[in-house]
Amino acid sequence: MTVVHKTVMESGTAIGQALARKEDDRLLRGGGLYVDDACALRQFAMAVARCPFPHARIRHLDVRAAAALPGVVHILTGTEVQCLTNPITVLRPVPGAPMLPYYALAQEYALHEGHAVVSIVAQSRAVAEDAIELLEIDYEPLPHVTDMTRVLDPDAPVLHPQIMTSNLMASKTDYSGNPRAKLAEAALVDYDRFFVNRVAPLSMEPRGVLASWRSGARELDFRSSTQVPHLVRKQLAEALRLDEGAIRVVASDVGGAYGMKLGLFPEELLAAVHAMHLGHPVKWIEDRMEYFRASTHGRESFHDMTIGTDDQGRILAIINEYTNDIGAWNSPFGSSQLSSVTFTGPYHVPDAQVCRHVVLSNKTPIGAYRGYGQPEVNFAREVLLDRVARKLDISPLDIRRRNLLRPEDLPWRTPSGAVYDNGDYLRPLEMLAGATDYEAHFDRPRRPRADGRIVGIGLSSFVERTGYASARFLARRGSHFGAHESVTLRANRSGGIDLYTGVSTCGQGNETAFAQICAAVTGVHYDAIRVHAGDTAQSPLNTGAFASRTLIAAAGALKQAGDAFRDKTLRIAAMVLQISPEDLSIAKGLVHSVREPDRTITLVDVFNRAITGQGIPEGLEPGLETTAHFEPPEASFSFGSAAAVVAVDPETGDFDIERFVFVHDCGVAVNPLLVEGQVRGALVQGLGAALSEELRYDRETGQLINGSMMDYFALTCSDVPKIELMHTEIPSDVTTFGVRGVGEVGTIPPAAAVANALCDALRDYGVAFSALPLTPETVWRALQNVRNKGETP
Amino acid sequence: MKASDFLYHRPESVPQVLGLLRDYAGGARILAGGQSLMPMMNLRLWRPAALIDIGRIPDLERLEQKGDVTILGPRFPYWRIENDRVIAERLPLLARMVRKVGDRQVRNRGTIGGSLVQADPTGEMPLGTLILGATIHAESIRGRRAIPVEQYFLGSYATAIEPDEMLVAVEYPRHPAYFSFAEVNRRHNDFAVVSVAVAGDRAADGTWHNLRIGLGGVDETPVLALAAMRRGEGTLLQAPDIAQMGILAAEHIDPPDDFRASADYRRHLTRVHLTRVLGSMLASAGFREE
Repeated sequence: MTVVHKTVMESGTAIGQALARKEDDRLLRGGGLYVDDACALRQFAMAVARCPFPHARIRHLDVRAAAALPGVVHILTGTEVQCLTNPITVLRPVPGAPMLPYYALAQEYALHEGHAVVSIVAQSRAVAEDAIELLEIDYEPLPHVTDMTRVLDPDAPVLHPQIMTSNLMASKTDYSGNPRAKLAEAALVDYDRFFVNRVAPLSMEPRGVLASWRSGARELDFRSSTQVPHLVRKQLAEALRLDEGAIRVVASDVGGAYGMKLGLFPEELLAAVHAMHLGHPVKWIEDRMEYFRASTHGRESFHDMTIGTDDQGRILAIINEYTNDIGAWNSPFGSSQLSSVTFTGPYHVPDAQVCRHVVLSNKTPIGAYRGYGQPEVNFAREVLLDRVARKLDISPLDIRRRNLLRPEDLPWRTPSGAVYDNGDYLRPLEMLAGATDYEAHFDRPRRPRADGRIVGIGLSSFVERTGYASARFLARRGSHFGAHESVTLRANRSGGIDLYTGVSTCGQGNETAFAQICAAVTGVHYDAIRVHAGDTAQSPLNTGAFASRTLIAAAGALKQAGDAFRDKTLRIAAMVLQISPEDLSIAKGLVHSVREPDRTITLVDVFNRAITGQGIPEGLEPGLETTAHFEPPEASFSFGSAAAVVAVDPETGDFDIERFVFVHDCGVAVNPLLVEGQVRGALVQGLGAALSEELRYDRETGQLINGSMMDYFALTCSDVPKIELMHTEIPSDVTTFGVRGVGEVGTIPPAAAVANALCDALRDYGVAFSALPLTPETVWRALQNVRNKGETP
Repeated sequence: MKASDFLYHRPESVPQVLGLLRDYAGGARILAGGQSLMPMMNLRLWRPAALIDIGRIPDLERLEQKGDVTILGPRFPYWRIENDRVIAERLPLLARMVRKVGDRQVRNRGTIGGSLVQADPTGEMPLGTLILGATIHAESIRGRRAIPVEQYFLGSYATAIEPDEMLVAVEYPRHPAYFSFAEVNRRHNDFAVVSVAVAGDRAADGTWHNLRIGLGGVDETPVLALAAMRRGEGTLLQAPDIAQMGILAAEHIDPPDDFRASADYRRHLTRVHLTRVLGSMLASAGFREE
């Protein structure tokens, strides 16, 4: 792939080019501005005391010794927080669930290890941590429940007894056709319970905030590592009982977010309360020990999946009943919901039913995490589909060929009401089969190679819901945000454009993509477009960088604002050049005549005329600034298939992924480099969750037993297998420029592809996998179980 | 994750270090590369009253050759074990094992002395030093003593070094002619789930002598698989010998049961990898497994 530096951009050619990212120059030179890079004069540091028990009553709390430590300036407890703030609101409540009063500090009861109990501000973080050790907190440990399969047992402690009578938050069923009747007709019905591991989103930059209160101006300046600055401002206003006008939220560079940084967290609110009390800036930077206990986790769920087929492997019905364990509280965003949207995957299944239960447990809250329900259900469905294929003696490739939706089936409405837009789901699968020589591979006997390893291949097909289908859709589900994105383009005197967006820069390349589209629409040079991202005081109100939705919505806003900007530019130029605007074009910093290219006026000249109002057409408003809000009419669905080739050592269960091939379609790629970066990054997270990542709680003590970077097995670059990417590029017919989202897709297929490859390698043994992660010990145990039953080949 | 208060000293000589150690009466820690010490302090798991930084004391990175014997100073860094030609020739097992230590950044700063004082039961340098039958030299105001490595590791993160003593040298005897090493990790260079190292000499008649078999990650300290060593000593290390040695090694360990691996699995891996490592040592001596 060629990286094009400083290309001279012709109008309309910027979309699709592999331009080097605008962000990289500063990020690679260490010039990024993360929260901890920002320093305010006389800032204090905050640290939080956290409950060491999974469930406890705070019988007594004495802060006097801590307060007396030299350097300590302010302490907050649950009582003060209850007086000074409202509970933190949820941006996307679970439909039908009760509202839990989530205060920034525990109120009498602490409900998970890591639950914030006291916060202390001091002259340095070290002093604040010293003060934490001087707190006298008398905890009365209470019975706890951390096993998600036990939370609804009659003897399980109820986490919120004032509000609820059990730990069940909500249940919801969606269905289409008559899946029960279809199952009764099926030649084969297979079922299993699949367990999906609790994992950490693991942003490189932890959470952090620098809160400053200018008491004279009554203004809260709030620097936060967030993917939704405008929504954090809304939640801050609600919790602090302030007008939104008094709050400015700034997210400069955000070192990864992945859904975790989707809204206001308790510690951020605490920093604001401290800062308002002290009149001094207060900084809180999360450390990794806190991160593992207080930043939201992802995924944990179990899926009871049933698939019924005819004797040719055609799917007649899918029923999925699943349980999401969301921990002790609602996260700021709300728990994952997309398992219900994509449980039938890319397949033609008119008769299907899904039932979702949301439950509570004494663990850290679960929040949004890249994929948001889609990797979970994909694992269950794709692994079970392979088992069906084996039982019917059909190859896993053929069973997918027989069931994938055809272009003529699209648009396709799933039981949850989501509509898949156009696409060709078979093409990536066939490309994958070709690239891996699947059939020859599959037909080979599974004998050990010279190195003792047995090779197998596994497939996993998927769709990814990208973006939201309109504000109406969100309103029906009680979401407190819209589906739109917005952008402001403002001409500057240097002949360039200042582009303002509320989408913060989380590593996704929004500055690059926005500038590329803006350049394509306006004709202004890519290098002359400066993107100002993530500041609520500058940007128009928007939604934020999540749900693979930014470009689905922002492309439309950029198109509208860009068209209006270009029109006005041409009107001014037309007056000066005495040429009709239709005969003018913008390129290379000039407006020029299409017919007589020598007749030109510089953009510097045009923009200065607009800015001063001197020398512009009679009746035209001065200034050159356009804003657009664009509401996408539909969500778009990315799709594709992935394959893993594994080599297993049957003696130890150890295995390597020798190839991982991923073929997908995300519509028109605005910048292939950004697409590749997004896919690879998400694949690494998907592979990590498939192979080794898992937050484990001790059943007896209810404590997190591997909550540090030393003990949490995130993959390092040396552990990531070589990844081969291929794309098809079918423009979506429901989005501007035909783009589809691409932010989360890589997390979806890896677990099933690896599980299916292991089963294929060990097919002579007849092993099956239904829980993540898939470690060498898991494989060894599966083999031991088979051997103990005397079924060794 | 900020360390609690401590005093910092940077003495110029070993006698000054020993004086400080005596003065603090067990309350001080020696800082060399800091790759194990600093995380423990930042987690507040260790709270030394003082750090004694030996980074400026000359000559602590020395490498001495005395006939067959090789002596390393306490601050001899991992990166030199990894790259030094003398080490490659004289202590090739260490050079091989050090590549499994941490990451490049850790190896740039970490030291042999620090690793041996830390005594991580999964550590590579403790295991290698055990296999090679080294002698640890410790010094205090009271005098200097030599500790045979077999008596050095007392438990998980516990050694025979007294609180007022400083590790001043590690003395390695002649390195056996053949060796092999394997380690199982949950991810690249993570703490060992199990590590297995073997070394030995082969006589002209094909029999094996001075066999040393060491296991890491399977007990409170790195351990020698004594039963397996006895079983193999003087044999041709034929397939039945090796199989029995694997079984013996697995029988005589008490591996931990934790989130890295179960005790059962560690026991199984110990057997499998010991047989494989012995096989590869044989292969390195010009024998191919039948």
